[in-house]
Amino acid sequence: MAVDRSVIGKSTGRTKVVIERGPVAVFAEAVKDSSAIYRDPGAAEAAGLHGMPVPPTYPAVMSHWGAFPEQQPEASGDAGSGAGEVLGPLLAAGGLLLHGEQAFEYHRPVVVGDVLVGEGKVADAYEKQAGSGTLTFIVMDTIWRDEATSEPVVTARMNLIVRT
Amino acid sequence: MAMMTYDDVQVGSEGPERRHVLTRTDLVKYAGASGDFNPMHHDEILAKAAGMPSVFGHGMFSMGLLSAALTDWVGPGRVVKVAVRFSKQTWPGETLVSRVVVTGKREEEGRRFVDVDCTLANADGEGKVVGTATLEPA
Repeated sequence: MAVDRSVIGKSTGRTKVVIERGPVAVFAEAVKDSSAIYRDPGAAEAAGLHGMPVPPTYPAVMSHWGAFPEQQPEASGDAGSGAGEVLGPLLAAGGLLLHGEQAFEYHRPVVVGDVLVGEGKVADAYEKQAGSGTLTFIVMDTIWRDEATSEPVVTARMNLIVRT
Repeated sequence: MAMMTYDDVQVGSEGPERRHVLTRTDLVKYAGASGDFNPMHHDEILAKAAGMPSVFGHGMFSMGLLSAALTDWVGPGRVVKVAVRFSKQTWPGETLVSRVVVTGKREEEGRRFVDVDCTLANADGEGKVVGTATLEPA
């Protein structure tokens, strides 16, 4: 089954998140980072930062902690459908889902108090033969922008692999 | 080790190593902190039933640990980019060891960046998470 490349460019959804102090400290603890800069506004200021930053991989969990239902933007027509069109049928057929690659690129630091709006899209979709099986790759980019200024803050790129 | 400064590092300079023995408690904490409750990461009975020798680590926990090695050196809020490939699963009891090595330095539009290769491997040198990062020292 050839991968449907028409999904490239389709939306994977739009999410608004709030960056809060408690979850950032909990997350820093979970990734074994004891730096005071994630916990104490004075320490962050002393380090020359404009606010308390988040650990580099925090964007992966921002929606878990900070997306509140009543704050979500109106869904656009095809919101959230892009990745599911490729992944859904493969997973339903018993495919194994793997997280292949992950990247975060910061245009400025994310800090406690930020309100960000993320827009995701399918950046690429392709497949490779591996032995007797097929690996289907789907690459998704989410650009998180400052709600107040619309300036980009952080871009997350995730590469998922389904082995069938 | 002192914090990274742009002037003091050269190509080949290495950051402070992080060394951590992975525990099941780490995985339970990361599940709670991330919302990723895939039972393969915390339910030993289900993991064994699925043919695994035990529960195994979240890839994003490993990337988080490796990212902490980056911020140990350059400081929180100063990782401009981190990009990794997840190459192997991690298992409770394994010692996870970070390695961060400078590959380049560059100045662009008044900002000074340090590029690094970064790896998290076990004690036998099996790479778990392999990638690159761009750091912006104070």
